[in-house]
Amino acid sequence: MSTTTISLRDILRSLPEGAAEAVVELHFATQLLKALGFGPQEVHPQFPDGNNKFVDRAARKTIGDDVFLHTKSNPYLLLELKGRDINLAEGTKQYQSTVRQLKQYLLAPNCQTAQWGIISNSCHIQLFRKHGKVVFPATQCFALNEDNIDRVVKEIRRKLEQPPKALTVSVYNNKGGVGKTTTTVNLAAILTFLGKKVLAIDFDPNQQDFTSSLGLPLSEGHVFNALNDRDADLLSALDTYAFPLKKGDRELKFDVIPADQELVDASDDSLRKLLKRNMLHRKLAAARQNYDYILIDSPPNWRFFSQLAVYAADVVLIPTKHNNLFSLENAAMAITKFIPEIQAEKADGSPMPLPVFFNGEKITPSQREIAQQEITNIIRAAKKDGFDLLPYFYPRYTSSRRDLHIPHVPSYANIAGAAFSRTPAVYRDRYAHEYYKNLAKEYFLQ
Amino acid sequence: MSNLNDVGHLMHLYLDEIDPGDGTHSSEFLIQASAHLLNQKGGRNWVPVIVKEVSEDQYEVIGNTFVYAVAEAAGLERVWCIVADDSSDTQTLTQVLAGEEIPKINLSKASRDEIVAALEYLVEQSGSALQSIKVAVAANRIDEAPRQYWTSLDPIASLKCGITKGKKLNALKQVFYLTPQPMPETITDVAMLQTLSTTELKAMAKKRGIAGISKLKKADLVEVLSQSE
Repeated sequence: MSTTTISLRDILRSLPEGAAEAVVELHFATQLLKALGFGPQEVHPQFPDGNNKFVDRAARKTIGDDVFLHTKSNPYLLLELKGRDINLAEGTKQYQSTVRQLKQYLLAPNCQTAQWGIISNSCHIQLFRKHGKVVFPATQCFALNEDNIDRVVKEIRRKLEQPPKALTVSVYNNKGGVGKTTTTVNLAAILTFLGKKVLAIDFDPNQQDFTSSLGLPLSEGHVFNALNDRDADLLSALDTYAFPLKKGDRELKFDVIPADQELVDASDDSLRKLLKRNMLHRKLAAARQNYDYILIDSPPNWRFFSQLAVYAADVVLIPTKHNNLFSLENAAMAITKFIPEIQAEKADGSPMPLPVFFNGEKITPSQREIAQQEITNIIRAAKKDGFDLLPYFYPRYTSSRRDLHIPHVPSYANIAGAAFSRTPAVYRDRYAHEYYKNLAKEYFLQ
Repeated sequence: MSNLNDVGHLMHLYLDEIDPGDGTHSSEFLIQASAHLLNQKGGRNWVPVIVKEVSEDQYEVIGNTFVYAVAEAAGLERVWCIVADDSSDTQTLTQVLAGEEIPKINLSKASRDEIVAALEYLVEQSGSALQSIKVAVAANRIDEAPRQYWTSLDPIASLKCGITKGKKLNALKQVFYLTPQPMPETITDVAMLQTLSTTELKAMAKKRGIAGISKLKKADLVEVLSQSE
């Protein structure tokens, strides 16, 4: 190990300032993958992604007699290299286009099994994780130098060797009444239906809508205790929602951490004295190895609880309403201000906001036009402050394609009314079922 | 027949040597107003007509028919053209690239995202027969159906996703084509069995040597067949 780390430092020192991609590839990439634990038989250069493009390096450990170099199947890690003449500092145009490129590779047909992607030009390096369809940062974008390269590579290697099983999604909008709870309940239910292991967390003690919409009892101090006591296990507060299927004796089940009665009266101030913002994230460590999805229903506003929920997340799903300007403005506020605040504190690149979707009544063409006008204004305003909101509102928009499509989950009586029957709408109504399945596939499932 | 050297060239051809091919569906207004503009703004069609050479000094339009019609209305003697080769692939491709024809995707193999995009496109057409369908529902149902074996688009009508036989189903033919795989000998997949008719199911059961099926209902037949080897 020591020999490889020394040579990585040597390489960093010896690479010429404007080294072209081929030079970085020849000297740096080979050593980097070696330091990350991949042997020569476990790395394939110019790996065909299945879309007629080639990834600079793909890697996978040998499994039995399945040697990656020979079978070229099921890559685990993709590496996209650039020359030193390309600036990969976070936020630059070249950085953004490189990240886009990596995402395309990770989602390409031959790379379905890839769980990680790295971009590097030997001056900067960043690790991304792929979970289903979602690609999000797993580290910040490090500026490499001789002093930190050993530490950075070690950290990346540690992550590669212990991939968390779960994707943690916080459903958040600082505007209330946009359907956060409905979204969380139905996503949890449909992901369960699709065979995923789901943990849903009701983190809105003031409303407790989530817990009561499933007819589960409130927790009596367990959650607060688990957050407050460093030795307590959060999963001790666990409850299970079960829905019996008509056929046979099978049932659909997902785990729930219910809202805690004891937290209703706690003020932000008193909580802040007892808890750190990273507490929920820390307490979910075991759950991240256990579930496919952890969904958190977070309270509106930017209260302390919202902050805990957003901190715990890999990605933040933001429901909005097309006919509610505030929900759109607040989504922009969360993306430009609140989430970056947490990112700065968490320092691993996450949580990443997902593109917004419309949750609510049917949209007529003229309403769509008004909403688009509002969004254009919001995007323009953010641009003045140097923030590009375009990908969060119009993910399909490119410079050559003005695609203004925003995913939409229409709500109607059956979805809202489901709360009274203590059953998620997707288990009762076939249209709700299809809409949320569509949402799950649009955002999460590969 | 074809002078290969001209393929790929931009040429200033005589209008009367060019056969307009299928003609454009554009409106009188668009053609006349564009012709007027063309004459006003220099008389050169910077967007070329795409033609193929059919014989010596005889050409036929295969793309940008609109530009040809405008040049004709403007009274141009010669029009700028690009000479393409005369294969039918080139013609299809050119018409699609010129926006004159709608490209089709292979529904036997298409990904879910491709199906969603195709349905969205159809629904958003003005006056679309499909305006009332729910894309999310239809896309899920079509995606999950055993469409690799479909020999026609008709099974879509029985998916209960709002796409009924007639106008709606026909609208789909604009964007989908099929290259079906042969049905496997032994089908045990419930979803696939359900797409078959009762008669077909009975024939299948007979072939597999299952007795006592003549009075069974479809649901029972599916059940029996899904459990037999």
